Amino acid sequence: MTGRHPGGLTPAEEEFRGRVRALLAEDRVRALADEIAAYPPGTEATHLPVHRWLGERGWLAPNWPQEYGGAGLGAAEAAIVTEEMTLAGIPDDVHVLSIDIVGRFLLEVGTEEQKKRHLPALAAGEEIATVLFTEPDAGSDLSALRTTARRDGDGWRLYGRKIYNMKSQYGEVALCAARTTESPVAMHGITLFLLPLRSPGVHVEPVPTLCNDRFNLVVIDGVRLTEADVLGEVDNGWALMNDLLQLERTGVDFHAKARRLLDLVTERAAATGRLADPAYALPLAALDARLRAGHAMAWQQVRNLGAGSPDPVGSAMAKWYVTEQIRPVLDLALEVCGLEAALTAWDGAAPDGGVLEAGLRMGPSHRLASGTSEVMLTLIATNALGLL
Amino acid sequence: MTTAVLDELRELFGQELAPVLRRLGERPRGAADGPAARLGEEDAGTRDAVWATLAELGAFGPHREAERVAIAELMGAALYQSPYADTVTAAALLAATGDPAYGPLLDEAARGAAAVALAVREDGLSGPARPGPLTVHREADGYAVSGRRPFTAFAADCGHLAVVGAGSDGEPVLALVPRERPGVRLTRRDDIGRGDLYAVELDRAAVSGAVHPVGALWPAVLAAARVRQAAALAGAARAAVELAAERLRSRQAFGQPLARQQAPAHRLAALAAEAATAAAFARSVAAAADRGEDVRATAAQVLYLAGDLARRAAAESVHLHGAHGMTEACDAQLFLRRAAVDSQWLGTGTELLREAAALLSDTPNPR
Ligand SMILES: Cc1cc2nc3c(=O)[nH]c(=O)nc-3n(C[C@H](O)[C@H](O)[C@H](O)COP(=O)(O)OP(=O)(O)OC[C@H]3O[C@@H](n4cnc5c(N)ncnc54)[C@H](O)[C@@H]3O)c2cc1C
Repeated sequence: MTGRHPGGLTPAEEEFRGRVRALLAEDRVRALADEIAAYPPGTEATHLPVHRWLGERGWLAPNWPQEYGGAGLGAAEAAIVTEEMTLAGIPDDVHVLSIDIVGRFLLEVGTEEQKKRHLPALAAGEEIATVLFTEPDAGSDLSALRTTARRDGDGWRLYGRKIYNMKSQYGEVALCAARTTESPVAMHGITLFLLPLRSPGVHVEPVPTLCNDRFNLVVIDGVRLTEADVLGEVDNGWALMNDLLQLERTGVDFHAKARRLLDLVTERAAATGRLADPAYALPLAALDARLRAGHAMAWQQVRNLGAGSPDPVGSAMAKWYVTEQIRPVLDLALEVCGLEAALTAWDGAAPDGGVLEAGLRMGPSHRLASGTSEVMLTLIATNALGLL
Repeated sequence: MTTAVLDELRELFGQELAPVLRRLGERPRGAADGPAARLGEEDAGTRDAVWATLAELGAFGPHREAERVAIAELMGAALYQSPYADTVTAAALLAATGDPAYGPLLDEAARGAAAVALAVREDGLSGPARPGPLTVHREADGYAVSGRRPFTAFAADCGHLAVVGAGSDGEPVLALVPRERPGVRLTRRDDIGRGDLYAVELDRAAVSGAVHPVGALWPAVLAAARVRQAAALAGAARAAVELAAERLRSRQAFGQPLARQQAPAHRLAALAAEAATAAAFARSVAAAADRGEDVRATAAQVLYLAGDLARRAAAESVHLHGAHGMTEACDAQLFLRRAAVDSQWLGTGTELLREAAALLSDTPNPR
């Protein structure tokens, strides 16, 4: 398949990719991917067996130390797993939330007890951790968050509403940002908590979406938390969120999503004879070029991470660039496949089991999730160009 | 059509009813068949009421194309889904044949008392400019036709299907097929637009009257339909932009409404300018059609521009609503859904550009 070879992989990395790919090509994984694609409305991917199969080998979080369930490998191997899962049609939300975000926070600033408690279960694919940052009135402007931790003896009671979060209906624990100290500066006084989601004071309500997977509204009503539930230092949440979210951002995941869609469109073009028609072939070649460029940029960020020198501007550029390609890829899907690309998985006659149609619905989410395009551009404009 | 009537139509499809109309054709996802696929009673009531009002206002009657694009633009902005658009196109083609046998049906259609579905494509890959194959059978008591038309809108709501197809010599023919005859089978489809789309199987379905060659008629009828579709898409683009502007005015971030941020404001302003320009182009092509000019090339061009624009405007509207734009509760996503289908209903961008390119040297510049 085109675009799967990043080039510049070491022989060991190349071998690792081969082994991951072989696992994901097994019949049981293919059957699972088909099953997921055909889920009826309202059903979504949760604790997937493939996460456990990867986890058994330390591959779900290959860059984590072995003592926490990883394989003691590097950023490249982590990127390889992310790419291969997406290209194999395995949804990556649970992986991104549990491993790339919450797991990463735990690894970087968690106490030994917190790490031992959560990391092995996350790396084994047995536990799901979710992210509770966004609120009804605090999205891009996250420092406006109003979820509050009120002092209660030696701990706190948490009150607030978190929205647009995913998978919380399945999660065991969530990384939750809350205000511990009122301050005239909005960024001050925010603390990160590990919130047990299956507590009596946590109510998870569905927020139906355009996509197959729902958002949640999580209402937190007086859950009691102690120092043991604080991740990092009290009142230091803002700095952590800014620093650590950047580490998750390389663009590799979004690139893989775009690549999977473009590959499907190219396959359809070949199957219908349209690949031989320049009216379709030239735009396909142009987008293929853009995705290869995006891939190179994303992998440059992976290499920076691996070398211990992440580049926040480069990461923002990579995330922005690859997610901007998704709409043109989807437009081309409509050109090449016509109305067939508009048929859903539930129609029964959709090409590729409705993957393109689902892609059309998910299209806008990539420019919003993990930092919107505008947030990326602001980062680039300010940090790289001295603007704004 | 008088200005007063247009004003009434503006009101019908205006701010007040638009939120209801936008969701009128909606079916729950994955509900292709079964009871959930049918419109709720309230929705069905509203739909009938809108149809009756359109009939009352004379929206179905013979009009100049300039008037028809004005109506289409209003309907597009409200994302109004109904058999209206295809009925108008089918009626134009039936009328163009000059066959008096179609008279009673055309009269009914002009009063809004009959709806006709247009069945042209044989697959989703190629648009209606090249109608799918159709087998015509000579029977003892008339004609019958066989073929498949997997993308036929509102077929279940229409008493007749105007089936356009390539006959044995490859030339387009028209056959009017009463829907409730043996040999006509409908299967409801499930599509991103959540509209009312059917796969129609015709197996020696009886034809009402003759089978007409329409090779000389279909291109002009299709061109006019494309101009109306372009106007509808320009209207949808405008409405998607307005919805986003409303959101930016009410959403606070960084201590002020998002509306004060220049980057999104400029992008919406640019889209608004494009939408107004596409609508102006549609009106001008419609006027040319009313003057009897050949508008095949310009119709393809305006639809290309409007289709592309409708998709971009919808995506931007969802984006500027933030995650809320991705929720079922937000109407921005309805524009995204509909644009994926409506923008290519009468041909994809590639097909339209190819047709326009083939006619370019014969198309005089505007002056
Ligand atoms: C698929 C998906 C999954 C998500 N998962 C989670 C999750 O698991 N947990 C969680 O906590 N959150 C999650 N989110 C929420 C996400 O973090 C927010 O959507 C994001 O922070 C943007 O906030 P908002 O949606 O409220 O948009 P708003 O802040 O309301 O912004 C609306 C629009 O305006 C733009 N905008 C905002 N400010 C400016 C500016 N200054 N200049 C120019 N343009 C601007 C934005 O880019 C956006 O397009 C998810 C979102 C998506 C789409």
